[in-house]
Amino acid sequence: MFMKKAISFFCASIWKKSWPLWIGAVGLALTNIFMFAYARAIGVFPQMAMWGSWLYYLMGLSVDAPFTQYPRTPLYLDMHSMINFGLILGVAIAALLSREFKVRTEDWRGCGMAVAGGILMGFGTVIMPPCNVGGFYSATMALSLSGPVAVLGLIPGAYLGGLLLKRQVAEAAEDIDFDALPEGKPAVKKPLSHQPVIGLLISVLLATIALLYTYYGKSKFAGLLLFGALFGIIFQRSRLCFCSAFREILVSRNGTVMKWILLSIAIGTCGFSILKSHGYQPMHFVLPVGLHTVVGGFIFGIGMVIAGGCGVGILWRSAEGYVRAWIALIAGMLVSAAWVPLYGGHVGEGKLYGKPFSLGERFGWINGTLIVLLFLVAFYVFIVWVEAKKK
Amino acid sequence: MRKLDARKITDKHYQVDMRGWMCPYPKYIIESLVSKLTSGSRMDMLVDCPAATDDVPKVAQALGCSIAGSDQIGNGEWKIAIIKGTSKNSFF
Repeated sequence: MFMKKAISFFCASIWKKSWPLWIGAVGLALTNIFMFAYARAIGVFPQMAMWGSWLYYLMGLSVDAPFTQYPRTPLYLDMHSMINFGLILGVAIAALLSREFKVRTEDWRGCGMAVAGGILMGFGTVIMPPCNVGGFYSATMALSLSGPVAVLGLIPGAYLGGLLLKRQVAEAAEDIDFDALPEGKPAVKKPLSHQPVIGLLISVLLATIALLYTYYGKSKFAGLLLFGALFGIIFQRSRLCFCSAFREILVSRNGTVMKWILLSIAIGTCGFSILKSHGYQPMHFVLPVGLHTVVGGFIFGIGMVIAGGCGVGILWRSAEGYVRAWIALIAGMLVSAAWVPLYGGHVGEGKLYGKPFSLGERFGWINGTLIVLLFLVAFYVFIVWVEAKKK
Repeated sequence: MRKLDARKITDKHYQVDMRGWMCPYPKYIIESLVSKLTSGSRMDMLVDCPAATDDVPKVAQALGCSIAGSDQIGNGEWKIAIIKGTSKNSFF
């Protein structure tokens, strides 16, 4: 009896309702600190760019992957790709256990938006670099100046993308006249399938893959796969979406999601600073910073909104069955992977890019941390100011 | 984008099918649709984006509507029943 109640409580509280945003914010920060301490912080687009270089290779074209730290490697032997695979599996498990998986098709205009979004994100990720979660969330935690600077591009870019989406729905709503609607029958409840069973089977698959990697002496791979899955479950259940966080600040004048992300970054910053101040990977996720950070962020910001998700977002939505995310993923992979032949160099090389700037290395770890926390407070005040202007 | 499938169920009871419209489309369209409804009318919005089950009721309530129910009608599909003008915060 007790077990039955406990199981039913577990199912209802974890899989039936979405989690509060604060759980997502704190959960993501702690997972990112622990994953950094284990190996590295979260960031997903450079791996996807490397996957794109594989697609070219399979088409008979040999191009260098754009990020030098992520050279073309068989995917099952690439440690960094494990985070992406884990995230996809984690989201799929959470979505299936919650009965939220569905293949969501698009018409030709939706497919066009996906391609455009993927192309813009592909260019944005190599110019910024890298993506929203890596270039803003992890970079700011890592005391990289590029994190706060990226915001200057991401906010206006996401706003522009959001206006485009708003215009599309306004056009669709124009045709609706409730007095002249044809009569019809209400939607009927469909029988629910065995999605939770499939979710459990994928959990077993995830555990099996992790065990196999451990057995073959690659426990780091297994660890990152499981960390990725944990990220996926937290993202899917808390619906803490970085794309909507940036978009809604100006479009709806609602910064609720971003405020929780700022708290998440504050927690993460303290954790990262402690580790880095002890000499652990001090330059990890300290990225080139310059005008390109703002321009790349702007391009990426538009792209992520019209594609329906940033780098993490399209991986997440692809595992929930969004065809728009599948298309954006492939477009983003192919465009970012074409960067070396297009630009003539790798990401971070040449005149386009500034130098990496660590606030911790430059001003000391305590001062650097205080500067980042001050930035987070300033961002929070900006959001409150924008919200106050809402009519 | 695809055309909206909207229909009249009975007098003052309508259904708008937003399945296939990913987030944030459902929450962005609420204001336009609610402004066209007469007070006391009910609009059932069908969505297949999980985030819409949180966002749509919040936006509708801010516009002075009440939520008569939000039910899962299939795998990854929900019906959100919105009634216009029954909240004290009504702007219309």
